[in-house]
Amino acid sequence: MPNRLLNALPAEDYQRLTFHLQSVTLSLGQMLYQPNEPIEYVYFPDQAIVSLVTVMEDGTTMEVSLVGQEGMVGIPAILGGHTTNTRAIVQVADGAMRLSASILRAEFNRGGALQNLLLRYTQFLLAQVSQTAICNRLHTLEERFARWLLLVQDSIQSDELPLTQELVAQMLGVRRSGVTVAAGTLRRAEIIYYTRGRLTILHRQNLEARACECYRVIRTEYDTLLGNSI
Amino acid sequence: MCVSEATSAPFANQLLAALPVEEFQQLIPWLEAVPLQVKQVLYEPNVPIQCVYFPIRGFISLLTVLQQHRIEVAAVGNEGMVGLPIFLNVDRTVGQTVVQVPGDAFRIEVAAFKRAVQPDRRLYQLLQHYTQVRINQMAQIAVCNRLHSIQQRCCRCLLMVQDRMNTDQFPLTQEILAQMLGVRRAGVSEVASTLQQQGLIQYHRGQITILDRSRLQAAACECYALIEQKYVRNRTDRTSGAR
Repeated sequence: MPNRLLNALPAEDYQRLTFHLQSVTLSLGQMLYQPNEPIEYVYFPDQAIVSLVTVMEDGTTMEVSLVGQEGMVGIPAILGGHTTNTRAIVQVADGAMRLSASILRAEFNRGGALQNLLLRYTQFLLAQVSQTAICNRLHTLEERFARWLLLVQDSIQSDELPLTQELVAQMLGVRRSGVTVAAGTLRRAEIIYYTRGRLTILHRQNLEARACECYRVIRTEYDTLLGNSI
Repeated sequence: MCVSEATSAPFANQLLAALPVEEFQQLIPWLEAVPLQVKQVLYEPNVPIQCVYFPIRGFISLLTVLQQHRIEVAAVGNEGMVGLPIFLNVDRTVGQTVVQVPGDAFRIEVAAFKRAVQPDRRLYQLLQHYTQVRINQMAQIAVCNRLHSIQQRCCRCLLMVQDRMNTDQFPLTQEILAQMLGVRRAGVSEVASTLQQQGLIQYHRGQITILDRSRLQAAACECYALIEQKYVRNRTDRTSGAR
């Protein structure tokens, strides 16, 4: 089980969910939930990457959290189903396990391992959003982009990231030309290479040097909150 | 002020006020009414939480800290509580929680709070909802910090403080406002001066008076309306003067 939250469940708890978990392939740009819509399904990514973005009135979006193998998309489903102001959009198209929100809630309400994991994961989401809040104020586009690439690479554990500049632009909250500039800088420094639809990380260490410290903070926070259970 | 006085007052904490009578009665022995002093640090990053607080009056900032920088990522007043990590089975905060405008609160120790928040209780449901509200607020502010001007953000902040103070005048230094916005004090001075010239606020010796709330709302970014929409607030439209 690649997804770390599902993998952390005791066998018995996981057994109860097996029948209801559906293996799905998410497509690029797919919106798993929208602001002000009730959540029908939650997703546990395997190799897929999902951005949670805040949507502004003029349609501008910016990522506030990243969800990959280490997490779950659809936390609002366990918080009483009240409206959320974020959208979940697929950045890397790949596999995930899908579960109906009502089944998730039933398992959550049992008060066992899944409840504990998801509550702590919610705290991790809050921590990620908090870090993004200061990162957005202090750090350059290039630093933010580098940080994001590192988090994505950690999650899919590959040097090759199937990304499109258009979706990355939505994540960073800039026009596509802004991404071209940031990517160009990293390419000239031979830290990354990219062709249409595919970005390759050539030099991880140098990428870490270009990223803001928010990468370390987020990584450490995940390990602190969930590392012991997983 | 004793607990029963505080909860019958119009400024009671809204989460506690929403509890069924029996549930609230059970909490009373564990609630301590305490003052909140300006600049009082309720939680330091990564230090175990001892008590959670339900504010009655006052304004608390949740600040993310990065080296010498700080920025407000969430605001809490009598509509909410601080110490939310405890509800999420985590014993410490990531950032710093600071009282920016003084007031008072109910405080309850962690062990008693955990006993009170059993899944079958109304408090549990209220906190689930409140967690979503907190996520929404942070998600909006995180993006606001990048996209909106200092002036728009300042208007948003002032409105958020006014909402939690229930008065049009409150103590708020430019230093604290600068910290909330994650900018230099000079940036705040300039904005405060503009807003004063335009007759939206009056700023004198660390006291702010909101003169024209509706124009302040118009000058704020959309984030204010979006964030505050999530709160159920019994609030009549303000003109000048305390409610």
